[in-house]
Amino acid sequence: MDTDIDRVDISLLQMSDSFFPTGLYATSNGLESLSQIKKLKRKDISRFITIHLRQVIGPSDCTALGNAYESCRKRDFASLLTADKSLYFMRMVEETRSASVRSGNQLLKCVSSFTKYKKVLRDYQNAIRNGNATGVYPVSLGVATWSLDIPKNKAGLILFYGFAVSVIGAALRLGILEHLERQQIIHELRPVILESIMKNIERPISNMWQFAPGLDILQMKHEMMDSKMFIT
Amino acid sequence: MSSNRIPRVGIGGPVGSGKTMLIEQIVPILSAKGYKAGIISNDVVSKEDADRMRQNLATEKGLVPEELVIGVATGGCPHTAVREDPSINLSVVEEMESKYNYLDLILIESGGDNITTTFSPALADYFIYIIDVTGGDKYPRKRGLGIENCDLLLINKIDIAPYVGADLKIMERDAKIVRNKKPTVFVNSKTGQGVDIVVSYIIRDLLFEASPKTLVNN
Repeated sequence: MDTDIDRVDISLLQMSDSFFPTGLYATSNGLESLSQIKKLKRKDISRFITIHLRQVIGPSDCTALGNAYESCRKRDFASLLTADKSLYFMRMVEETRSASVRSGNQLLKCVSSFTKYKKVLRDYQNAIRNGNATGVYPVSLGVATWSLDIPKNKAGLILFYGFAVSVIGAALRLGILEHLERQQIIHELRPVILESIMKNIERPISNMWQFAPGLDILQMKHEMMDSKMFIT
Repeated sequence: MSSNRIPRVGIGGPVGSGKTMLIEQIVPILSAKGYKAGIISNDVVSKEDADRMRQNLATEKGLVPEELVIGVATGGCPHTAVREDPSINLSVVEEMESKYNYLDLILIESGGDNITTTFSPALADYFIYIIDVTGGDKYPRKRGLGIENCDLLLINKIDIAPYVGADLKIMERDAKIVRNKKPTVFVNSKTGQGVDIVVSYIIRDLLFEASPKTLVNN
């Protein structure tokens, strides 16, 4: 039997699966409102995701994930709560903030249904219940992946891959991409994903940032749309 | 089941089968009996259904607080949202349960979908599937998970059956066969015909004849 594989690899696949119940399939992250303004092509989707990864998901979500993971490793619960609150307050658009909280809470609920004995998972859920934390998705993912012994960089992979797949899935359902283009884009994004993880996962929480005003405006426009398929 | 879990009815069915109108008929009957309901509406491409119910049931009639009619977008995947990955719906349900524990039940309307729709048991405790006569009297016979598995099958728009050549007796017979004698009710959601029977099923089979919480607590 090949010894290069272990149970953690299976957990990694499980958490990355688009069937993992966190509701990410229902998010377009502003793509739906962009598609109403402009006729989008394949290259626009790549660019849309790349800007998101470099300007938002990397410097804010991945940083929060890395810090949450380290907080669990060091048993530093106060730092975990700081990562949670810092990211929550950095999300300016209510719709995306709320979607992140919903997905994060469902992620914790799901993981705690099969890893019942991790104290930090329980403590974090209790903190959410008591109003001391929010459960934003990247921080919840940090707690969950640490609880499953998934290495930190690979937790970053789950974050970026999940985001890319959710936007690409939205593009497919909005009729912008066909199924092969979808896979081609995921393939092409590999260097951006790796670069974004390396740049951001060790970043201190005090240096967390995001800057994508165009995307923020798109997401605000999405909030105001009367007719929509996606929650963001 | 957690102690603060509020009983939930999932209502599924094809686009235009009358799900929203059914809820608009059910809520006033429940309300007259003292039962308080929250409503979650899964829309496929709009929030029209939620907006309409908020207007009709909350704003105009005051039967439900406006904040208790919530629209959920489904990412174009209506049955994923209630079956494969009900996490967004569960999240909204849990929020209702923690903030409005006085509710007697929560009605969850799926987005319009096909005959394979079912609800995750984690999301809905009682499943109503609604079809209408315009699909022809072959509809129940064609089966499908929704028709076969639901707790209560409703056949709507019976007033126009003669005009579309649908024989209700055939539909009743076939429904009995494919559903292994589980109940089927003929309704007209527009006039309310048959909806009182639907409500009595909900009270009996979901609420187990429990009195409304507000009456018990007072």
